Amino acid sequence: MSVQLTMPRLSDTMESGTIIRWNVKEGDSVASGDVVADVETDKATMEMPVYDDGVISKIMVEAGRQVPVGTPIAVISVEGDADKPLAAAPAKPTTSPEVITSTAGEPRAVPAVSSPPSVANDGDSPRLRISPLARRMADEMGVPIALIRGSGPGGRVVRNDVLAAAERMKTGGIAPLAPGSALAPRTPSATLPLAVMAIGEGSREVALSGMRQSIARRLVESKSTIPHYQVSMKFNMDPLLELRAMLNEQLEPQGVKLSVNDFVIRACAIAMRAHPFFNASFAGDRVMLHGDVNIGVAISLPAERGGGLVVGVVHHAELKGLREIAATTRALAEKARGRGLGPEEMGGATFTVSNLGMFGVDNFTAIINPPNSAILACGAAVEQPVVRNHQLVVGHEMAATLSLDHRVIDGAMAAEYLKSLKQHIENPATLLV
Amino acid sequence: MTAVREIEFRDAIREAMSEEMRRDPRVMLLGEEVAQYNGAYKVSRGMLDEFGARRVIDTPISESGFAGMAIGAAMLGLRPIVEFMSWSFSLVAADPILNNAPKMLYMSGGQFGCPIVFRGNDGAGGQLGSTHSWCVEGLYSNVPGLKMAIPSNPHDAKGLMKTAIRDNDPVFFLESERLLSNKGEVPEAEYLIPFGQARVARAGTDCTIVAFGRPVLLALEAAQSLASEGVSCEVLDMRTIRPLDAGAIVRSVRRTGACVVVDQSWSFGSPGSEVASLVHRECFDDLDNHVHRVHSADVPTPYAQDLEQEYLPNPRRICEAVRSCLYRA
Repeated sequence: MSVQLTMPRLSDTMESGTIIRWNVKEGDSVASGDVVADVETDKATMEMPVYDDGVISKIMVEAGRQVPVGTPIAVISVEGDADKPLAAAPAKPTTSPEVITSTAGEPRAVPAVSSPPSVANDGDSPRLRISPLARRMADEMGVPIALIRGSGPGGRVVRNDVLAAAERMKTGGIAPLAPGSALAPRTPSATLPLAVMAIGEGSREVALSGMRQSIARRLVESKSTIPHYQVSMKFNMDPLLELRAMLNEQLEPQGVKLSVNDFVIRACAIAMRAHPFFNASFAGDRVMLHGDVNIGVAISLPAERGGGLVVGVVHHAELKGLREIAATTRALAEKARGRGLGPEEMGGATFTVSNLGMFGVDNFTAIINPPNSAILACGAAVEQPVVRNHQLVVGHEMAATLSLDHRVIDGAMAAEYLKSLKQHIENPATLLV
Repeated sequence: MTAVREIEFRDAIREAMSEEMRRDPRVMLLGEEVAQYNGAYKVSRGMLDEFGARRVIDTPISESGFAGMAIGAAMLGLRPIVEFMSWSFSLVAADPILNNAPKMLYMSGGQFGCPIVFRGNDGAGGQLGSTHSWCVEGLYSNVPGLKMAIPSNPHDAKGLMKTAIRDNDPVFFLESERLLSNKGEVPEAEYLIPFGQARVARAGTDCTIVAFGRPVLLALEAAQSLASEGVSCEVLDMRTIRPLDAGAIVRSVRRTGACVVVDQSWSFGSPGSEVASLVHRECFDDLDNHVHRVHSADVPTPYAQDLEQEYLPNPRRICEAVRSCLYRA
């Protein structure tokens, strides 16, 4: 029999993937576990293994092409039965593209599917579901379909949804889409600016990588749907820098090196106990206060890897000490800049920290990483003249700026949270125990 | 001045037949009990007295025989009206009425037309059992070459019957035992209602309900009840389904964006499915949901009263279909 390989869904938000490279060609034998291709998702480049022994009988999508999740990309002929046509494969309808019905009849969670694509796409295909009338009305009224939540069966966008979205546009902003809910898929055109003309000879175009498309889409959605505002505070960093120097000296033999950002992550996580709304998501008609504190850390990628940015996640940060946080952030950064983070290392952030201090930045503001309700942007601990005990002295200060979702967090709440951070950072012994 | 008066559905049909028989000596009426008994449902009351036994003829209980005889008479120049006591009984005359009459003009190369009106009661009359409760429109409207009128009220019944008698093709005229005693305004002055022109029985903006015959009344009842929920339904009375006023349906659905068809025949291969197909083809970009259909249940007509009521389209089922079509269910 034949087994069809389809574009796997490698992350929760993945809607399409690009085959970066095929490691096999038609006629090659493969065994279960072999990595046959590298696939670029919206977040990372990942290896795609197969789960059958056989011969690659057909490659349907050449390297470099981007296709939606569930699209057939190759066919494996399984030994002894190679002459049977694909259609003869047992076409048990599967509920999800991640489930394969193997010859043994045992469903396994693997990124391939043996049923016909039409069936595979039935469940959660990224196809836009919208009634013809709603589509026409959205077009006529200039409502971006991407931002409409469908209320009809299967998330179908219907007339009333378009009218409601048009109303929200009029009153200044479409409400954001709740995370993880059945949303109408976003079309790239929704984020396209007006026609762009090349200016000057030597202009050149750079195709968007999957990651760049994802950044564009998610940040436009964040900035255009979340009512952002910022609150800043300066922290006296002298005690923390002193403590850090001492700890790093004493821990050097153990190979431990704590960064300023590790202290900041620890402080943010501890402060969540008293400020649960900073560890929360806006969910349309309610606010979800998360039980775990998972701190996302923005990690920039080197230009030779195509640049870009990923958010690695320190899970259960509230339960981790500085040593463990430091080990986790270092491992995340190394892996992100190496072969890339897996979905589990990028998913589930409840709050995010972005630090440009190491680049000498004094201060900046960040865009909220949905579905978080806040993000902290840290600058460098700068040596400068400061007033301490009514005396002008030289000391280190760091500016930290929170970007907040005003639907969840008000200004006074933000001030209180920053005050908690300040207490921890300026009294860094509290971060040790 | 035209006096407006109210008469029963059965009297409206009789007036139409009598007026046409006075106007045209070629018109005649035949069927079981139409003459001496004044019609099994008293539709032809008094017609034997006025027109005599040569033009108002009692037949044996032999639908196949008298339907065939009428076809022969029509081919030789008469314009017969054939009454079936019930359309359920016309099934034994399927060969003459379906296999001969609608094809005569075509098969004779235009030499013989077949200007006949076949008329009688259609639909469940009320606890008559499965074999006597046929809605033949689903089965018969499938045949090219015939016309089919299904009036919902006395006014339309009279105007459509006069048009049917003057039409040169076989016209299947479907009445309803449950409508015969309904009264309605029928002008004294002569009028005809052309085929293929739907009537807006109720104007509305949210959903188009397409119906014909008795279901029009059920649709109006449903529309009245939906109005109290803030749903504005437009009810179209098609009057004839062959020809079908496609333009009226399309114009209305393009305004409302939603369509429910009510058809008391079975759903498989029915006028309702034809309307749904038409709307999906012509109004695709105007639809907010697929066409919803209310038919009789896909089973033989039950005898028990409560089952029969639930089997047939009824206002509750129509309301449910409209709500579902508008995503309000």
